[in-house]
Amino acid sequence: MSVGVLRFPGTNCDRDVFEALEGAGRKPEWLWHADQFDSRKHEALFLPGGFSYGDYLRSGALAARAPAMKSVREAAERGVPVLGICNGFQILCEAGLLPGALVRNRGLRFIDDWVSLRSVNKHAQFARAGGSARLPIAHADGRFVVSDDELKKLQDRGQIWWQYESNPNGAAHDIAGVMNEKKNVAALMPHPERAMHAWMGGTDGVGFFE
Amino acid sequence: MKIGVKVMPRQEVLDTQGRAVENTLRQNGKQLNACQVGRYVVLDLPGNDEAAAMASAKEMAEFVLHNPLIETYQLEKL
Amino acid sequence: MNKTSAEFKSKLKTYRLNEGEYDMICGLLKRDPNNIEWALFSALWSEHCSYKSSKVHLKKLFNKSSRVLESFGENAGVVDLGDGERIAFKIESHNHPSYIEPYQGAATGVGGILRDIFTMGARPIALADYLCFGQPSAHRMTSIVDGVVRGIGGYGNCVGVPTITGQTEFDKSYDGNVLCNAMAVGLFRPGEKVFLSKAKGVGNWVVYVGAKTGRDGVHGASMASESFGADSAAKRPTIQIGDPFFEKLLIESCLEVMKQDLVVAIQDMGAAGLTSSSFEMSSKGGVGFKIHLDQVPLRDSSMTPEDVLLSESQERMLLICEPSKFEALSAVFQKWGLDAARIGEVTEKKTVELHWKGEKLTEIDPDLLVENAPQYQRPFKVLPPQNRVARREWTSKRAGGANAAKCLDLCLRDVRGTSRKFIYRQYDSRVGAATARDTSDSVGVVRLKDSGRALGVVLGCRPHIMRLDARIGGLDAIAYPALELALKGFETLAVTDCLNFGNPEKENVMSDFVAALDGMNQVCASLEAPIISGNVSFYNETMGKNITPTPSTGLVGLRDSVENMPESFFTAPDQLVYVLRLPGFMTGGADQESWGTGPQAIGDLEGRVVGDFVRVARRLSQAPGVRATRAIGKFGLAYALARMTMPSDIGAVIDTEGLKMMRPELDETALFEEHLYEAFIAVDASRAVDFEDAFSAVRQASPTAELHRVGRTVQGSLEIGAFLKVDSAQLKESYNSGWSQNFESLA
Repeated sequence: MSVGVLRFPGTNCDRDVFEALEGAGRKPEWLWHADQFDSRKHEALFLPGGFSYGDYLRSGALAARAPAMKSVREAAERGVPVLGICNGFQILCEAGLLPGALVRNRGLRFIDDWVSLRSVNKHAQFARAGGSARLPIAHADGRFVVSDDELKKLQDRGQIWWQYESNPNGAAHDIAGVMNEKKNVAALMPHPERAMHAWMGGTDGVGFFE
Repeated sequence: MKIGVKVMPRQEVLDTQGRAVENTLRQNGKQLNACQVGRYVVLDLPGNDEAAAMASAKEMAEFVLHNPLIETYQLEKL
Repeated sequence: MNKTSAEFKSKLKTYRLNEGEYDMICGLLKRDPNNIEWALFSALWSEHCSYKSSKVHLKKLFNKSSRVLESFGENAGVVDLGDGERIAFKIESHNHPSYIEPYQGAATGVGGILRDIFTMGARPIALADYLCFGQPSAHRMTSIVDGVVRGIGGYGNCVGVPTITGQTEFDKSYDGNVLCNAMAVGLFRPGEKVFLSKAKGVGNWVVYVGAKTGRDGVHGASMASESFGADSAAKRPTIQIGDPFFEKLLIESCLEVMKQDLVVAIQDMGAAGLTSSSFEMSSKGGVGFKIHLDQVPLRDSSMTPEDVLLSESQERMLLICEPSKFEALSAVFQKWGLDAARIGEVTEKKTVELHWKGEKLTEIDPDLLVENAPQYQRPFKVLPPQNRVARREWTSKRAGGANAAKCLDLCLRDVRGTSRKFIYRQYDSRVGAATARDTSDSVGVVRLKDSGRALGVVLGCRPHIMRLDARIGGLDAIAYPALELALKGFETLAVTDCLNFGNPEKENVMSDFVAALDGMNQVCASLEAPIISGNVSFYNETMGKNITPTPSTGLVGLRDSVENMPESFFTAPDQLVYVLRLPGFMTGGADQESWGTGPQAIGDLEGRVVGDFVRVARRLSQAPGVRATRAIGKFGLAYALARMTMPSDIGAVIDTEGLKMMRPELDETALFEEHLYEAFIAVDASRAVDFEDAFSAVRQASPTAELHRVGRTVQGSLEIGAFLKVDSAQLKESYNSGWSQNFESLA
C-alpha cells in the first residue's frame, strides 16, 4: 500500500516529504487537494508543510476546506495514521481533526532554528521510539493554543506528543506536537524531513518515516 | 469610548489575501462578485468627548494602524 | 514638435528623456513619436532597461568559459556542472523600492529574481541577499531594516526557496539610499531543458499568464533611473504588491508546462512589464508580434493602453506557444488556479503592432527600442592607487588607547561585526531538504540530489575596501568570496554581479565604476570564473549624496560532495592553528573607519597573484587533517579567532612567535588590521607533517604564499600572545548582544 502525500496550492515541503518517504523505503503517492480519494487505499497520509493558500485568512484555514480533506477525515475516522508537519499541523487543527489552534509566534516573527524536543507520549506509527529529538523549525504561526480544560484533557488522555525543551514560540505547555484522542492523527511543528542525514545537521527525523 | 478602525486595502493595490479567499469560496461553489480582506481595530479611548476620541483615533490610525501607501481606513463610533 | 513649446518640455520631463534622445527617436522613426511611442521609448531607453551608461564597459567583462551555456541577454546565466546538471543564477537590485516601502520593495525584489530563474526552466533551489543599510541611528533605519528583512522572509519562506547565505553592511553612505540585492540559484536536473526568451514560429500565439494587470509601478523602470530628491515620496508610482503564494503557483505551473514541452519561448514581465518582455522577445527572435492590449487581463477596467504597457504588476509571464498546444497549456495553468490568455500572435515582418479596441496604436521595429538604445561614453578618469601610505603609521585609537580585549569586545558588538542571527532566523534556510550549510556559516551550501555534489554560494563586495580604493574593492569583491569558497574546498565556477553606484553623469562615480570593473575582471580572468549575469543600478543618490560604490557579487562554487567540509569554527582542543597568507597588501581594516583617520593601505594587489593564492587555499583546505578554515576579514585576526570559538566554545592560544611571523610590527593595532589575504586553518596535530607536506606540494602555484604555525586550540578561551585572554563565553555574549544594542526595538 502507498503512503498518500497531500498537495495544496502553496504546499512547499511536499517534495521533501515525498523523498524522505522514498528514502525510508515507503511508496509515496501524490494526492491533489481538489480531488477526493479512496480513503482505504493508503497505509498512511502525510500533510507536508508550506504555506497553503499563502497562509491567508488563517494558516491552514482555506486548505482545511478543500475536497481532499473530506477523504482525509474519512481515513482518520477509519483509523489510518495521519501525520501533519508544520502547515499540515495547522490544517489538521483548522479541520477539527486535532485539538487547539496555531497562532502567530510570541515574538511575532518567523523563526528558523533547530530545537530540542522530548517525547511525552509515543505514537504507534510515527517516531515509535520516542525519547528526544533535535529537529529544525521554520514557522511564523507555531504557537499552539488551547483552553485550560482542553489542555487538561490532552494531558489526561496522553495526547501530548512532543514538547520543546526550550519554548521558541510561546506554545501552551511547551507543546510542539499533539495527537487526536484515537492516537492515529498526529502532528508537529518541527520538520523531521529536514533531519534525515548527517550532512543536513542531524538524523533524528528518520524515525518519522519508517 | 470605543472607536472602530476599519482598514482595507486600497482599490488600486493588489489584495493578495482577498484574491486567495475569493478563489477558495468560488471553488466551493459560493456565489460572489468580489472579496476583500482587511483588518478591524477597536480602540478603547479615555473620556466621553466623541469629537476628541475621533480625533485621537484618527491620529493613531495615521500614526501606525494603516499604511497609506497600500491601505485606507474608516472610523466608526461603537 | 516645437522644441521650445511648454508641451515639449513637459513631455520630456514626464517620459524622462532628454532632447538628444528625442532627436535620435525622430531620426530612427523618421517622424515624431506618437503618444504611445513616447511611453515605449521612455521605458526601454531608461537606464534600468537599456544600460545606456554602462554597456560600453560591460562588454569588457570577463565571460569566457567552456561551462557557460547562456549569459547576458537571457533572463539569467546558465552554467554546465557536468553530469547533466546545470544551474541558472543571477543577482538583481531592488534598492529604490526597498527604501520607499521596505516590506514590499524587498519582497518583490525576491519575487522578481526568482522569476528570472524559473522562466528558464530551472527550479529555484537557493536565495541569498546582499543588504546595505545606513547607520542604526539614521532616520527610519530601524523600520527599514525590519521591513526589508520581513519582506525577504515573507516572500522567500512562502514561495518555498531556502535562503542559505547573505551579507549585511552598515554605513552612513546608505542612510538615505539602502541597497537590497537578491540572488537566486536554480537547478536543471539531468534531462531538463533550458528555455529561452527568443520568440519563434510565425503563427504561434503570444500568451499571457499569471496575475491580472493593475496600475502597480507604472513608470517604475524610469523611476529607478533617477536620483532621489526631497519629493521622492510624492512622485512614487502605485506600490507593487508581491504575492508569494501566487508566485509559487506560477513556478509549479510554468515548470509543468515546460516539462510537457508546451512552450516555445518564455520571459517574465519585470521592469517595464509587458513592454520590455514583448519587445525583447520579438527583437531576439527576429520575428514580429501583433498584440491586442485590450485582451490583457486587467484588474482595473479604467486602465489606458499606456498603463497596460508600463504596469509592473508582479507574478506575470509572457510566453509563446503553438496554437495546437494551447488547450493543454491552458489546462495545466487552470489546474494551478491560473488563467492563460491569448493576447496576440507571432508575425513574419519584424515589427511589434499594438492594438487597442480595434485601433492600431503603433507598428514599430522592436530593434529601434531594444538594439538602438543610446550608448553613452560617460566621462571618467583612470584612477591611480588611492589612499596609499608609504609605511604603517596608523594606530588604533581603540586598541592603542585602551587595550586589545576592549577593542575586540567593541568589534564584536559593533553593528558591522555583531551576529546577524536576528536577520537570518527569519528566513527559512532548509526548505527543499538540501541545505548542508546555512547563513550561520561563511558559505551557503546545497546538495545536488542527482550527483550528490555540493554547490556553494557566497556573496561579495566589502564596502570598506571600496571606500579605500575602487579597483582593490572590485578585486576583493571577487577574491574574498572566492577565498571563502576555496577554504571549504569549492572551485568558483562563475559569478553574477549587481553594480550599485551613484549618478553616472558624475565623473568620480564613473571613474569608480570603471576601476571596480577592472579589478573584478582581473580576478575573474585569473580564476577562469566568468561573470554570467547581473544588473546595474545607477542613480543611488539622495540629495546629491552618492552611496559607497558597491559592486555586489554572487559566486557559485562546486565540490565533489557535502562530506568532510571544514567547519568555520574550532571543533576540538589540541589542534594546530596555521595561518595561510599572501603578503603584500595591508590596510587598517574596517575598524580603521572608527579611528577617524579614514582608510589607508600599504602595497598593491594584482588579480593574477590573488587568483593563484585562492587556488592554493583550495587545495590546502582539502589536505589531510584539516578541520576548520576561516578567512581573516574586516576586523583582523583577533576578530576572526573570536568568531572561530563560536558556537563550540573551543578557543586557541596564539603564541607571540607565531604572531610575529604574521605581524612583524607587533602591537595592539596589528591585531585588528587587515591583510589581503589571510586565513586560519586548524589541523589535527597528528596530521601536521602531512599538512605541511601538502603545502610544500602546492606552493609553487603561488610562490609568495606563506604558511605559519601560530598556535593551538584549547577549551574555553582565546589567548593572543600577551595582548589578551578572554573566556569564550564572554566572546559569545558580546557577539550575540551587539545587535540589540544597536537596534533596541528589533530583538
